[in-house]
Amino acid sequence: MSVDFDVIVVGSGPAGVSATFPLIESGVQVLMVDGGKQEDVPLPDDNFLSARTYDNNQWIWMVGEDFHALKMRDAVSPKLRAPSQTYAFASFESENQIKSRGFTVVGSLAKGGLSNAWGCGVARLSGVELAEFPFTTSEIDASYEKVSRRIGISGRSNDDMSDYFGLDEYAQPPIPMDGLHKWMANRYELKRTNLNAQGFKLGRSRLAALNTDSFDRKACNLCSKCLWGCSRGSLYSAVHDLPALRKHPNFNELSGFVVDNLHLGHSGWTVTGQTSVDNMQRSFTANKIILASGTLATTRIVSRVLDIKRSLTLLSNPTAAFLIWVPRLLGTKRINGFGLGQLSYSLALSNGSSAFGSTFSTTGIPMSEFARHVPMARRFGVDLLKGIMSSCVVGNLFLPGQLTKAEAKSSDSGTLTVSGSYSSDVQPLMEEARNKLTKAYWSMGTVLLPSSFTVGKPGGDIHYSGTLPMRETPVIGETNSMGEVKGMEGVFVVDGSCLPNLLAKSHTLTIMANADRIGGLIAAKLRSGSTA
Amino acid sequence: MNNIVVTGGNGYIGSCFTAVATERGHHVTIASRQQPAFGNVPWLYFDLASYKAFDIPFDTDILVHLAANISTTGFLDIDTEVAAAQELIKLTKKVNAKFIFVSSQAAREHAPTDYGRSKWHIEQVVLAAGGWVVRPGQVYGGELRGLYGTLVNSVSKLLFLPAFVPPPRVQPIHLFDFAEGLLRLVERDDLPSRVYCLADPIPIAFSSFLAEIAASRLRCKVLFLPIPTLVIKFFIKVTGTNWQKRFGLTRLNSLFDLPDMTTASDLETLGLSLRSLPAGLHPSGNDNRRRLLREAKALLTYILKERPDSVLLRRYVRSIEALRGGRVLELPEIVVRFPTLLSLIDSTWWRTDKLAAEFAWRMDAATVIAEASPAGASRFLGISQSEGMFRSICLLANAVFGEVFWRLMRLFVSPILRLAVVSASKELQ
Repeated sequence: MSVDFDVIVVGSGPAGVSATFPLIESGVQVLMVDGGKQEDVPLPDDNFLSARTYDNNQWIWMVGEDFHALKMRDAVSPKLRAPSQTYAFASFESENQIKSRGFTVVGSLAKGGLSNAWGCGVARLSGVELAEFPFTTSEIDASYEKVSRRIGISGRSNDDMSDYFGLDEYAQPPIPMDGLHKWMANRYELKRTNLNAQGFKLGRSRLAALNTDSFDRKACNLCSKCLWGCSRGSLYSAVHDLPALRKHPNFNELSGFVVDNLHLGHSGWTVTGQTSVDNMQRSFTANKIILASGTLATTRIVSRVLDIKRSLTLLSNPTAAFLIWVPRLLGTKRINGFGLGQLSYSLALSNGSSAFGSTFSTTGIPMSEFARHVPMARRFGVDLLKGIMSSCVVGNLFLPGQLTKAEAKSSDSGTLTVSGSYSSDVQPLMEEARNKLTKAYWSMGTVLLPSSFTVGKPGGDIHYSGTLPMRETPVIGETNSMGEVKGMEGVFVVDGSCLPNLLAKSHTLTIMANADRIGGLIAAKLRSGSTA
Repeated sequence: MNNIVVTGGNGYIGSCFTAVATERGHHVTIASRQQPAFGNVPWLYFDLASYKAFDIPFDTDILVHLAANISTTGFLDIDTEVAAAQELIKLTKKVNAKFIFVSSQAAREHAPTDYGRSKWHIEQVVLAAGGWVVRPGQVYGGELRGLYGTLVNSVSKLLFLPAFVPPPRVQPIHLFDFAEGLLRLVERDDLPSRVYCLADPIPIAFSSFLAEIAASRLRCKVLFLPIPTLVIKFFIKVTGTNWQKRFGLTRLNSLFDLPDMTTASDLETLGLSLRSLPAGLHPSGNDNRRRLLREAKALLTYILKERPDSVLLRRYVRSIEALRGGRVLELPEIVVRFPTLLSLIDSTWWRTDKLAAEFAWRMDAATVIAEASPAGASRFLGISQSEGMFRSICLLANAVFGEVFWRLMRLFVSPILRLAVVSASKELQ
């Protein structure tokens, strides 16, 4: 009646590591398995602009020796075109048996999962926002703090977004803004009352990016390479948590193992899957299984084990992107800077919903990303971009996840098909958001370029969640307040799939805090079990 | 892997076929009058005229009968050639091997020449024995040998070339493509015994073929002298056989009398796609790369506004070879010469059809490749150039002026351009 491990954690992303820490600290034997892909395209040591000026081989990390950037021409995000990020997204769908229909599907088999290439946005859900979660705010507050302190958060600032993010007590000061954002922040202060009355609030972005050195990770040096991958470790990736876990003898790790199925036997759960090293089927047993392989992969595994044939609702944020021009700074010199969100906004929309978004420097983004969308002959489009882009910032926008009508359905062969589209509410809300943002940015002395506002494709947010929501009294295809899957006692879901809702605001920290909370509960359960 | 015996393996087609088959892992034995001068190819003595049975290797899988009498002096009679073929068939039966006979476009029961008639008779024998027959069109390309070598030499030497009226028509096929087709017949087991015609489905005038040799192979201009076919035919009638043979008139007669071949379905059956005549006539056998480089130069110069580094050109070409099957975008010649003119077609007004989508893809690819270089950083970001509001206003004004100017130009030339685009998209299909 003995098992190989107390707990097997499937996935080494933010959710997986967060659930593992409390288990490891309480002394249980843990095996963490993951797809194990690691970066293989080296980035230049130089900052972005120097590398662009002098590096004759810049095409290797910008286009890729296999022309990755061209192959991925139609992918939804510039990140998916960056050769240095290929490993983070490679072979996810095929190895996990996931198909898509009219819906963008992106996932990761990398060590550290999608956190290798995320926007680092963090936020804490308020009591009201947690209302749908089957536990009280106090049950997760400690986890918010623990995770925030562990991963390192910057952006503390006494501004209009303080309450929205709710993280300032754990945060470092913000990473310096560039000239354009400073200018916008100043103009916002002048028009603040007026803008607040329009439902527009602006403040520093709170991010899992370091402003001061922490152990092996170095503070951001404003090198503009965020999009391509942070070689200093300033941007949090779950990979940074692994050294701390590896110090414990009860932490075991198996890389390059993609889980195919789970079985319940006499002695506990058996995890079967394929190792990429020798392509051999292998299996391991444990008392408890924690699924943290990302919403889609986790959903596939659960659907297969429970033989769920109905469609599971998938939450995903509708997105848009736009360009903001600061005419007064036309011709400003291009300088290296921080490449992720510098200022974030929240925008109240009709029927009580709200949008969230951030603005970014354009320096580290290839101009060809924009050239494609300029309605001019390419030659003059490039002239235009060269003249105007140093005085532009790029913005994104997220709407609440229930506005996407998407579903995940398992087939007889075990393949998961994801399909969906935006609900009919999205178009009017997007138009409203565009008008309100245009007005808000106009009163800040900037121009939201009219034709630049582009609504993204469904699924392009990569914020998939809510397929196996936590409920007070779960039914098949749902989870309880511990993330334990109804019908699969001993199997816990800690990634995005167990979220009961998906707001416009960044959800990753909530996933991590929830995983930490569940990890702690499982550890306590195991302890009481062994003492009993 | 097959064991193949090739008669006439030293010839123009035979040596190419031997090389291609060997490269693909087949074991080739040449049966010919002379020992092959190249490589370590096993050899058996075989002469079409004084035919003696040779010891065919017992493990032979296929015999490809390419040997033919092409000498202009000592013609064999039909019976000898047919008898030789029959003996070869007997040999293959003995070792249970496949028999493939390379015939001629001229093969017909009542062909005006001995050559055409003898090919037809052999075909009948081969088909009766369950063998395969291949009729090649006008084979060209590769080494300057065979009829192709003679033609290239003539075009390079003669002051005037004959343009026969009415023009006889030929259906070209590149040597490599033909060897590939033949090899597919060798390798595949699912093809029934019958006649396979391999050549360009669309016949062209013989004089156009010569003109293309001049333009693409020799890069020279030629003058044509119209000669009525009737005159030659009359000459052939009045002269004796000896004279005919001495002046190669029989061959001409053969040319005047070539029947058109229907080849499209056979090409499809074999999954064979033929290179274009200009591409095949390039000394390398394929000028795709050269044309892709020209395309690269046009697009990259247009985007970068300066002569692109050759490294960028090669990178673009490799990307097209890797991701777009190496197909050349048929840009009008004038655009290739003056890349600024791309402004005329680089817009959205015609972006509905397949060609437009492909053009957009390549423009994007060229943009990405151009940008990822120090020259691109300067062009796209203005790094190490002066900055400031005035400079930016100039850039914007320049962009707007350029766009407006070329939009007006488009209005004027759009009718002509539409025609060009239509013909280009036909070529792409």
